[in-house]
Amino acid sequence: MSDETMSPETAPETEATPAGDGAPEPVFKEDRTLVERYVNNVTGRLGAGAWLTKTLRKVFPSHFSFLWGELALYSFVILVLTGVYLTLFFAGSQDTLTYTGSYAPLQGQEVTSAFNSVMRISFEVKGGLLIRQMHHWAALVFMGAIALHMARIYFTGAYRRPRDLNWYVGLTLLVLALAAGFTGYSLPDDLLSGTGLRITYAIILTIPFIGERLAYLIFGGEWPGTEIIGRLYPVHILIIPGLIVALLALHLGMVWHQKHTQFRGPGRTEDNVVGERVWPSFALKSIGLFFLVAGMITMMGALFTINPIWLYGPYDVGAATSYSQPDWYIGFLEGSLRLMPPWETQIGPIVINNIFYSGVVVSAIIFGGLYTVPYLDRRFTGDRDEHNLLDRPRDAPTRTAIGVACITAVSILFIGGAQDIIAKTFDIAVGRVTTILQISFLVGPPLSFFIARRVCISLRDRPGPRRTERESPVIRTSTGGYEFLEPIDSDGVPVDQRSTSNGNGAGNGAGNGHDAGHVSTDSSGSPREVAEP
Amino acid sequence: MTIDERDDAPPAIPEVTQEAIEARAFRVAVAAFVIAVAGGLSAAWGYWSDEDRVLGVGLGVALLGIGFGMVSWSKYLDLDENVVQQRERLRTTVEERDDFAEEIKLTKETVGRRKLLTVLFAGSLASLAVGFIGPIGSLGPKPQGERQRTGWGEGTRLVTSNGQPIPASSQIFDQLATVFPEGSIGVDDGQVVLLRVQPGLLTERTIERGAIEGWVAYSKICTHAGCSVGLFGIDDRKPDTLRQLVCPCHQSVFDPVDSARPIGGPAPRSLPQLALAIDDEGFLVSQSDFDRVVGPISWTEGET
Ligand code: HEM
Ligand code: FES
Repeated sequence: MSDETMSPETAPETEATPAGDGAPEPVFKEDRTLVERYVNNVTGRLGAGAWLTKTLRKVFPSHFSFLWGELALYSFVILVLTGVYLTLFFAGSQDTLTYTGSYAPLQGQEVTSAFNSVMRISFEVKGGLLIRQMHHWAALVFMGAIALHMARIYFTGAYRRPRDLNWYVGLTLLVLALAAGFTGYSLPDDLLSGTGLRITYAIILTIPFIGERLAYLIFGGEWPGTEIIGRLYPVHILIIPGLIVALLALHLGMVWHQKHTQFRGPGRTEDNVVGERVWPSFALKSIGLFFLVAGMITMMGALFTINPIWLYGPYDVGAATSYSQPDWYIGFLEGSLRLMPPWETQIGPIVINNIFYSGVVVSAIIFGGLYTVPYLDRRFTGDRDEHNLLDRPRDAPTRTAIGVACITAVSILFIGGAQDIIAKTFDIAVGRVTTILQISFLVGPPLSFFIARRVCISLRDRPGPRRTERESPVIRTSTGGYEFLEPIDSDGVPVDQRSTSNGNGAGNGAGNGHDAGHVSTDSSGSPREVAEP
Repeated sequence: MTIDERDDAPPAIPEVTQEAIEARAFRVAVAAFVIAVAGGLSAAWGYWSDEDRVLGVGLGVALLGIGFGMVSWSKYLDLDENVVQQRERLRTTVEERDDFAEEIKLTKETVGRRKLLTVLFAGSLASLAVGFIGPIGSLGPKPQGERQRTGWGEGTRLVTSNGQPIPASSQIFDQLATVFPEGSIGVDDGQVVLLRVQPGLLTERTIERGAIEGWVAYSKICTHAGCSVGLFGIDDRKPDTLRQLVCPCHQSVFDPVDSARPIGGPAPRSLPQLALAIDDEGFLVSQSDFDRVVGPISWTEGET
């Protein structure tokens, strides 16, 4: 037990428990202060005297690029809160009924219960449209934040040992998030979502050996059937969010346990973390960020229409509209479907249809590639060491260039998803736009690879901009207090010091470094000493 | 200032004093929280007076106010700090490893002693899994060739979605109509696009496959990914009028005067053609069902 959880005024009134590893555990009868109540009611019962204190004192390095993950987390919180509200009104059923709600143009039309209930949320439920639009905007922000977060991990090399495990978890979260978005988008059973499901059914059909059976299992028979909305509903609100919550806990638990990476800088080594404590500085800002994100999403939900299903109308088997794009995160698949040449291959009795290439093979390459990133990195760099210091993108020109090339390829697919809009906007034939994009898909990635590599190499040897944080590190003393050092004068200390000081006190405090209350401050703790070459 | 200088020289000391920054941050925090309160209250007012915009914007203002307030608060407190914490090493000690090896050894000596039991246990679990495949199978019927059949057959009338049959004598040219087999209106796989063009425009094979008096009918389901091919484009700027059937989803283009063969976009196959005839009362009917599967194909459905 650490000393600071005991306040000196409160003498134990009954006998002290036998001393364990030092301080006796007092048992209080009369409790007055918060500290006493905490000690008596919580740690006295759980024996976790240092846990909360340690948590509050955990150190997080800060950098703007570390915010994307938090942004994703907070938009997920908003998704759950708004989603739960929507479930109270949504009807996951394809039974048909006649629309009699207040939106005049659709009155008297045959619609499904699902469509009808979303119309009701949008027009009859006071505040329902706001919550619904917040839910959809939050989904878009969520995906964007995940994408940026993943790019940050990749370009700084944070996916290397020991965090390669967490890369797999994070990537699975991305896949689940895409599934959540797609299933959610399909629930209202409007014309666009029905079209998306129709295409999905067709893609499943093409999978060799199991395609037709699988499609029937998922859709309950031949398209369109009457089951699919009712099945997507529990998947969207229970199964996928449940898996996301479980993996998110694992993801954050690992970040917590392995401790966050940090950029190179004065006093920063592979063996320490330099940053701010959870309480109060990190928490205050981070909770502030949550409210900012929530506020921004609420504003978007209040001011900008999204997914106006009343304009699309209910799904109708004989209809489809042009200029219809799915949510942005499905854009790469949409583009892949549009840009793939009309290939069809016959291997013996097996036909490989065009959409098997554009739907299944392309996705498999993208996600398969992402899952093998840590392996390929180890394989081609031969680097199996633990890394807690981040690279700047320029420090690893090949990695950065590969990343840029992949982003270029996916971006061209993304643009391809709106090829009809581009054709209309610039008054060019759609076929020509497609050809141009197909050629760019072949030429763009290698070209961007070479450009990115050159840029990295020419930037690499230039020193980076000075980091903006104050250079007066505070050191935790062995008693849990803090000691402020005089500002380091960093003359002659290059900012991107590669101080992998394994010999420099790495073993010190390793055993009890876990206990934040007892970090020993030996010479290695002094940033000045470590920073010196 | 070159980059090198910037790197080596300490940053210029700002003119503004720390106190001034903090005083300002304090004022901003106060203002932000006050605005947040106003936002929350106006949201409540907006709800009661049915002003949806006010409700949403009020909530947004309240949340943004709290956010700005907290960030300014932390600025006022001047909490930026550089605390150093040592990392624990993520290593397994030799003792820990040996302890685990001990566990494995123990397992082998106890649970692993009887091979037969282990094998039977694994086998019974596997059979359990096999047993549960049945209920999974109930999720959907086995495909039994439904996809090879549609509502069309010998002498089935073509009707519009409100049930009107099509008189073959109708003189409407170059107009796309969506028709269904009589008796199964609105059923997905029977949807057909019907078109009348000047008979001379149609190619030989299109006529052979069942165009009649300039009437041609094709399955409306795109052979790419199954959207409804709903756009009919006529471009008569050119000397020869160009007719196209276009799928709105991914812009596949089919040629309606030449058996709907694909002439652009990702669709690999032509739209199946419906062979037409005229019945005793002069209405359009089909000669038979399609000779191929409509829409996107599965892995078994090679081109015949
Ligand atoms: C995991 C992240 C999630 C994502 C990315 C997501 C995404 C979406 C999207 C894009 C829609 C379509 C909304 C629209 O009509 O415009 C939707 C609908 C819906 N979501 Fe989610 N969602 C998520 C989590 C949840 C959760 C946790 C719940 C509830 C527990 C939920 C409940 C619903 C319901 C009931 C609908 C249909 C009602 C409607 O469309 O208005 N969602 N979701
Ligand atoms: S479904 Fe028709 S072009 Fe893709």
